Amino acid sequence: MVWRVLTASGNPLGLLVERRTLEPLWRTIQLATLVAVAAAVLGTGLAWLAVRTDLPGRRFWRIVIPLPLVYPSFVGAAAFISGLTPGGIVHDIFAALGMDLSLRLHGLFGSWLVLTLFTYPYVYLPVAARLSAMPTSLEENARLLGDTPGRAFRRVVLPQASSAIAAGSLLVFLYTVSDFGAVHLMRFETLTQTIFRTRLFDQDRSFTLALLLVALALAVVTAERRVARRSAPTEGIGDRYALLVPLGRWKTAATGACALVLGLALVAPTVSLADWGLLPYLDGRAGTSLRLDWADVVGPTWSTIWISAVTAVVAVAVLLPVAYLLARHRSSVGGIANGVVVGGFAIPGLVVALSLIFWTLHASPFEFLIGSMPVLVFAYVVHFGAQALRTAQVAVTTVPQRMDDAARLLGAGRLRRVTTVDLPLMAPGLAAGAGLVMLSTMKELPATLLISPIGFRTLATEIWNTYEASFLAETAVLALVLVAISAAMTWLLVVRPGRFPA
Amino acid sequence: MNLRCPLVALLVVTTLALPSCGNDSETQSLTVYSGRSEKLVGPIFDDFEAATGIDVAVRYGSSNDLALALSAEGDKTPADVFLSRSPGPIGYLDDLGMLSPLEAGVLARVDTQHRSPDGRWVGFAGRGRVLVYNIDEVAEADLPDSVFDLTRPAYQGRVAIPGSNSSFQDWFTVFRLRNGDEAAIAWLDAMVANGARFYPKNRAIVEAVGRNEVTFGLVNHYYNFQEIAANGDAQRSANHGFRPGDDGGLMIIATAAILKESDDQDLANRLVAHVLSNAQQRYLTNSVYEYPLATGIDPSPVLPPIPSDSVGAVDIDDMAAEFRHTIEIIEASGILDQ
Repeated sequence: MVWRVLTASGNPLGLLVERRTLEPLWRTIQLATLVAVAAAVLGTGLAWLAVRTDLPGRRFWRIVIPLPLVYPSFVGAAAFISGLTPGGIVHDIFAALGMDLSLRLHGLFGSWLVLTLFTYPYVYLPVAARLSAMPTSLEENARLLGDTPGRAFRRVVLPQASSAIAAGSLLVFLYTVSDFGAVHLMRFETLTQTIFRTRLFDQDRSFTLALLLVALALAVVTAERRVARRSAPTEGIGDRYALLVPLGRWKTAATGACALVLGLALVAPTVSLADWGLLPYLDGRAGTSLRLDWADVVGPTWSTIWISAVTAVVAVAVLLPVAYLLARHRSSVGGIANGVVVGGFAIPGLVVALSLIFWTLHASPFEFLIGSMPVLVFAYVVHFGAQALRTAQVAVTTVPQRMDDAARLLGAGRLRRVTTVDLPLMAPGLAAGAGLVMLSTMKELPATLLISPIGFRTLATEIWNTYEASFLAETAVLALVLVAISAAMTWLLVVRPGRFPA
Repeated sequence: MNLRCPLVALLVVTTLALPSCGNDSETQSLTVYSGRSEKLVGPIFDDFEAATGIDVAVRYGSSNDLALALSAEGDKTPADVFLSRSPGPIGYLDDLGMLSPLEAGVLARVDTQHRSPDGRWVGFAGRGRVLVYNIDEVAEADLPDSVFDLTRPAYQGRVAIPGSNSSFQDWFTVFRLRNGDEAAIAWLDAMVANGARFYPKNRAIVEAVGRNEVTFGLVNHYYNFQEIAANGDAQRSANHGFRPGDDGGLMIIATAAILKESDDQDLANRLVAHVLSNAQQRYLTNSVYEYPLATGIDPSPVLPPIPSDSVGAVDIDDMAAEFRHTIEIIEASGILDQ
């Protein structure tokens, strides 16, 4: 649907093959590639540490590692910048330690750093799910045959996890391509920036560039599909107890690495948010008191929880059949569906929202639904479906065909096979996909503002509201609540049902 | 399979939560799309509800996004009233023929220079374009009289410009129309040549000036008040208004308009009149630190002098084309890469 919307309401006359189009395009590709590679390395490394080693405090790390995803990028990046620049709390701590950290964060480097730190969970979640469902026997054999843990990781684990890594990196790439908040604050002029700047007064250009964005996304997805097909992962059933690699003397270093990443991606922005807005109130410097009461926090928190959970479940339910189609059959229907879903993620949420408004009101029998919850959930699913689809696809491919065949021989019907064989085996992968959709929905802003029922508040809309009015202390409080509930929900919906081995 | 428990719980949650939507036609109600933040204008609507018993449903968002949503909704929009940060988005809707004229009595509350000549929108609050500066670096006596001074060597590498910000673009459009394209482009190019630095947002500039990352910045006056409210004396920045009549000063006015599709124009006019009432105008200047636009209301004494021009004062025939042209000039200047 969104696909048709775009081609219909866009006005792609005369694609601007000009300097002002090509330069942002090149910057976008550059940034997205760098971020995807860095996030792949970071996400895979962390997943291996958290799932496959005897890292101290694994249970804790598994809950907190995916969390940086939840920061709306306009707040996350702003907090990051203000923390690292002179006067910011992170900068001052380093200065106290005698280190000069006065790097001015902007442009390609700044955007790369911030986006990598906020998007590696897209790789972490599917890879962790894959690693925990992977047969340990292969790795055990490699170890028995004399491989060091590092060598076993390179030769056995990495190839096995490659499809999950590719799926995750692709999501990072697409996210980066469509991100607005971080690149805006980092002053890095990408395609999305140009789309936003021209959205009101130069709509032809804006829509043409949005289409270009979709074309870029589809090109990358097609390439990824080609590669993924060539290296299908070994089917495997997760053993109840995965092999844990003893880290030995590397234990401290590994813990340090996890702490450093989380320190930068989660703690630093949180602390600098608090420092930024909250401290002046706590030490009495500020002239006013906090302009926020319980009702401003509780209602939005509850809305955030249920809408994101519902969206996550709906997204997985809707996209699982598509994933089946893609993984088990080669058909053009699957290819088209894949393109639509992926395109939805690559275009900015604002475009998704506007398209939905237009089509709901003017070209469908669902006019009465405008401004209702189903339309909002639909918008989220359209926008974030790709996240569930990619992880579900990986999950489907890893269900051994022979188990299915065995069940069929024993006379189990199709439905029975799906519920008793496939679903339990896919649970970790599906939970990871649901988790990604959930965390993304929690922070979604443009669609929530434009098509939710009037008066519907989520933590993201309230964070935006207070941030727009420069009520930074209130922004900090709400952002802290958002991080806290996303931790709780990650545990409930992803870590627990994901059944990572203890 | 552990997955099932949360799923069941969630489905129950959905069914419980869904029936909260729907329209009621019993009581009178208005729908407002507001590009001003709830923290700033929310109390105004609350007062209106309390005084009249009319329900006001408000959709908050960025003015540009809301204008786009309104145009996507077209003749099926539920909105009665649209409040915008600046005249630009309203001009966009006016070009689409989506606005209806306000009542003469409402328009008369505001000076002619702060409303549209055809009576289709009216300004209700103003934000001034000022020069923010670091008070430890610059003595008050040394502050420039004119925005044209900023191209001098003394300001080399010291001025921040929010090139992609819509208020800056509003200002630059008026600046360009008053001085001619040639002079405006020459000024911007001279600023770039003088090492002016680009920041994406007004607030980013006020913060950067406060911590002395850059000495001066062209911003809206409003942000410094919020920074001071949060940081007190630790905030080392202050606003400076250019000499009266200088082209560097400009009032960006927040505007209100009524949608043609609104089925109760009287009610909609009442709401706009309420926003322009003495009490609400005083609230806007004393608590939100903006310039009141209804005649006879004095601005809060802490505000810098009122800039002499406002965006509304310049007659812009084809707003969209002018803004497009402004954006082209800003892009061509290279300021966005600084």
